Amino acid sequence: MNRIELKNLLPDVFRGAEKEPPVSLSELWLRDFAFEKGQTYLIVAESGTGKSSLCSYIYGNRHDYQGRILFDGIDSRRNGIARWSEIRRREIALLPQEMRLFPELTAMENILLKNNLTNHKTRAEIEEMMRRLEIADKIDSPAAILSVGQQQRVAIIRALCQPFDFLILDEPVSHLDARNNATVAALAAEEAKVQGAAIIATSVGNHLSIDADVTIHL
Amino acid sequence: MSLVWKLLRRNISAGQLVGYALANLVGLTIVLTAIQFYRDISTALDDEDTFVTKDYIIISKKVSSLGGLLGKKVTFSKGEVENLKAQKWVRKTGAFTAAGFNVAASLEMGGRGVSTWMFFESVPDEFFDVKPKGWGFDPSRPRIPIIISKDYLSLYNFGFAASRGMPQISESMVGMIPLTISLSGNGKQEYFPAKVVGFSSRLNTIAVPQSFMEWANERFADRPIPDPSRLIIEVNSPGDPAIDQYFAGRGYEVAGDRLNNGKMAYFLSVMTGIVVTVGVIISLLAFFILILSLYLLLQKNRDKLRDLMLLGYTPRQVAANYRNIVVIINILVLALSVALMLLGRTFWSSAFEEMEMDLASTWPTILIGFAIMATITVCSIYAISRKITRLF
Repeated sequence: MNRIELKNLLPDVFRGAEKEPPVSLSELWLRDFAFEKGQTYLIVAESGTGKSSLCSYIYGNRHDYQGRILFDGIDSRRNGIARWSEIRRREIALLPQEMRLFPELTAMENILLKNNLTNHKTRAEIEEMMRRLEIADKIDSPAAILSVGQQQRVAIIRALCQPFDFLILDEPVSHLDARNNATVAALAAEEAKVQGAAIIATSVGNHLSIDADVTIHL
Repeated sequence: MSLVWKLLRRNISAGQLVGYALANLVGLTIVLTAIQFYRDISTALDDEDTFVTKDYIIISKKVSSLGGLLGKKVTFSKGEVENLKAQKWVRKTGAFTAAGFNVAASLEMGGRGVSTWMFFESVPDEFFDVKPKGWGFDPSRPRIPIIISKDYLSLYNFGFAASRGMPQISESMVGMIPLTISLSGNGKQEYFPAKVVGFSSRLNTIAVPQSFMEWANERFADRPIPDPSRLIIEVNSPGDPAIDQYFAGRGYEVAGDRLNNGKMAYFLSVMTGIVVTVGVIISLLAFFILILSLYLLLQKNRDKLRDLMLLGYTPRQVAANYRNIVVIINILVLALSVALMLLGRTFWSSAFEEMEMDLASTWPTILIGFAIMATITVCSIYAISRKITRLF
């Protein structure tokens, strides 16, 4: 996938409020915009402007919007279940804001749950990423007892365990310190570079320490 | 153990699944046992050699005291036979053909001869319950095989011999006695060797092969062959109330309790139908328990299922775990209920074998069980897939 186009997109909750902020001030809602493979995007938003909704719309798990999202020119609403599953395994990786780890599984099991599906990384590579993000000692700890910051790092590694053309990071560093923020940015950038992929990172305050090609105010 | 399974097995309620398995086990066992019992009974009833011959009825007309004196006919006219044949519960009819000549039998015992007048009747071979060796007639080597009613031997053995202190005789002993039969009429008299070759519990007469009767009537008959006084009927549905009504309305009499046997078979089929229905209802309810239990499970695991599919798992991959549970449980239930059916069968199979009745094969019953469980499995898997696809 090379291009994700947003055409006149508007969440259903903003319907009727088109002339008011935040929609009237937005650089994305009700406009035409395209994410290109290989670029890095930073979406800066205030809380409640629909940032996580945008991620879900692109990832195909919510459809409560008007307008169109085109994948290489094809309306994503036309995708069937099989196509969406394929996209989620091979083309778009998502780090959800709420992480969605399985609390009863260990950190490693949570990551393997994705990697078993894609066979993208070796166990050694996963352990190396955990070491770089300073959670190597948590490898066998259940996700339930990890701190939010640790969970965030596990979820980021999980998101990187697949081939992708677009990596969507929804508030990836909201609970991380500056050092880990830099490591996450470096990991994501490295992976994206290898795959020639785009990074779309959102943030309400704590920005990912990455050189964005485009910064958008939602 | 796959991680997905590790994740999804958490909320599985063993109690509910065991409840389903037990309920379905009971239902399926009832269904299979009832079907097998019915099949075994039917095989025994269809078995030509048993006493519960369900399909044959022998009828005659009532002999009234006055009618007998006045010479009122107790025979069936052609029209009456045709009318009977037209009834839809009649499969075949056969007439008892009487002899138009005189018959006398004699036997030599220790130099002393005993002789008696007697009679012959014949019915087409297909109506016999026994097919003994030597049955048939060859005019170039005339020997007369005779089948007599089992009742005659019983009368002698248990009535006459027992009260007079005389030896009882077995069927095979009777078969060894050489008889000489004298046929006379039409100005001729001839002697033929004869033997009792079999005993019938269906035909209450002294029967000879139809081919012999035709041959002998042609040769010796000096009076017109009377219309048959008795008819044997093979019926489709012995319990049909229409049969009773037809006979009662025309004053026909049914020999023995043959019709009661038929009624028993009819009653049995109704009973089996009821039992099978009960079993099917239990199985259906069990199936609903399973579906409800699975729906509840899917509902409890809703977020997990959604998150898994968000990672890129297809609904089919996720559903596979639930499918495996259903398939494994259903295979166990099927195997157990077949085992229970076979165990239950031992309660009646030995009794059947003692009565020398054949048993039906169990394979069709097992196949029916397989078909029922396959249907339940397919429906459950379909329901699971639908539910999970909706969560996507």
